Amino acid sequence: MAGSGRHGFIGTCLITGASHGLGAALACELAARGHRVLATARRAPTELPGEIAGFDYMQADLAQVDEVAALADWALAESGGRLDLALLNAGLGFYRPLQAETAADIARVLQVNLDACVHLAHALHPALSGGALGLVGSVAHKGAAGMPVYAASKGALDGFGRALAEEWRGEVRVRVLHPGPVATGMSERAGRPRGAIDRFFLSPRAVAAALLDALSAPRGADRQVISYLRVGRRGLWRGLVPGRR
Amino acid sequence: MRVLLSGGASGLGAALLHACMARGDQVTVIDAVPDPQGAPEGPAGGLAWLCHDLGAADPVAWAQLETALVDRGPFDLVVLNAGISATGRFEHIPLADHRQVSRVNLRAPLQLAMVLQHRKALAPGARLVFVASLSCFTGYPGAASYAASKDGLAAFARSLRRPLRQAGVVVQLLCPGPMDTPHAARHAPKRAGRERRMPPERVAKLVLRASPRRFLLLPGTGAHLAALLGRIAPRTMTRIMGRVLFDKLKQQGR
Ligand SMILES: NC(=O)c1ccc[n+]([C@@H]2O[C@H](COP(=O)([O-])OP(=O)(O)OC[C@H]3O[C@@H](n4cnc5c(N)ncnc54)[C@H](OP(=O)(O)O)[C@@H]3O)[C@@H](O)[C@H]2O)c1
Repeated sequence: MAGSGRHGFIGTCLITGASHGLGAALACELAARGHRVLATARRAPTELPGEIAGFDYMQADLAQVDEVAALADWALAESGGRLDLALLNAGLGFYRPLQAETAADIARVLQVNLDACVHLAHALHPALSGGALGLVGSVAHKGAAGMPVYAASKGALDGFGRALAEEWRGEVRVRVLHPGPVATGMSERAGRPRGAIDRFFLSPRAVAAALLDALSAPRGADRQVISYLRVGRRGLWRGLVPGRR
Repeated sequence: MRVLLSGGASGLGAALLHACMARGDQVTVIDAVPDPQGAPEGPAGGLAWLCHDLGAADPVAWAQLETALVDRGPFDLVVLNAGISATGRFEHIPLADHRQVSRVNLRAPLQLAMVLQHRKALAPGARLVFVASLSCFTGYPGAASYAASKDGLAAFARSLRRPLRQAGVVVQLLCPGPMDTPHAARHAPKRAGRERRMPPERVAKLVLRASPRRFLLLPGTGAHLAALLGRIAPRTMTRIMGRVLFDKLKQQGR
């Protein structure tokens, strides 16, 4: 999926959660690298930001099992059954203690962050042969006192990708990429109060570029953290080598 | 002592149930199986068997369960043990099975922990034990959704540890290796050495005797060793699991 696709043409990529934040930045970066982008998110096409408006887009709520199935059908049809990359980035979470959780929100977070990914990987498997599956996790996958349910969903995604990477090795490249804090507004929407720490959040564009580099590198660990070190190193490299994107 | 167990009909849950009844605890079991076949005799009221399908989201059934738990609590020891698996090639396992694994092994214990907290059903000083798996250290190709659910549980337990300690509750994570239970017999590759699996009674004893100062409970030297190797060389460990388990499952056409 680097530069040109596996069959000599520019590849087709599906990206979930493409309407906002990191997903929007990933979609733009994929298009800039010459890929055809199949974008999806929950909001209506009329509510998409300008930079996404030109992409092939399907509105689907990943919290609804039947809509996940319809999304898989759409991606298979649109790609002619050949996907170079499925990048499963859509996610949500709530910054709050277990005491403040509800059964419906627990179910929703697990469905969107984990079960929808399992579903899409299952349904898209035949189309991904020779391509790549990218799962966007979070550094919270190791546990986070402020958001236990979100941490559980991302921990589960990590374990899922770890197993699947081994199962599909040599057939589909599976990588789990765990971003550090990204300035997408997600964490405020999740209920975390803004603070001085926000200044240290990474830009979605920089994270998107580093994440795609990590995904397209032929060698690399199945599970990688995409945080300061990684993003910073890429920035430094770009500064040192003129003309490098 | 008041004990709450999820999954008590077989395996580790049944072993825990017997051990708790033998020492005179008042035990409450949540299980999908209605009939406590072979459930140990104890004093009247010593055992309450709550038949509940943990894979279902039915709010009415959950509300009934909540009421029953409040009646029987507050609990001094809770072991969230109920779990199922689905083994074979990920893409060959029906999606419905993956979904059920996620619901029973992950969504249900998260919701149970939430309910126990909402309803103040954890006694001061209580221990809340999540039963994960050694796969949290090794990875588990050939059981991708199972591995996911157990890693999710581990992340959840790690997240709750500090906040619940402040509320006077001890959170613990049990990561057993292969046990000699019907679950293992169903999901391990055929001819996988039974003699190397640990009897669930030994794991149950470890859980009941565990010091509240420990977070991670690893039964046996083998589990300690595998966890250590998994920490030092996680990739190699998953590769080995792929060779030892997944390749065998594939050969057996699963
Ligand atoms: N921001 C961070 O600091 C951070 C750190 C680590 C990991 N991550 C992970 O990175 C990914 C992207 O995060 P972000 O910060 O870019 O989040 P964001 O700005 O909140 O965007 C989330 C995206 O997911 C989509 N989405 C949410 N619920 C959905 C549903 N039910 N059905 C379909 N799509 C749904 C949203 O679509 P609509 O807006 O159209 O509903 C949106 O496109 C997530 O998986 C997140 O967990 C973020």
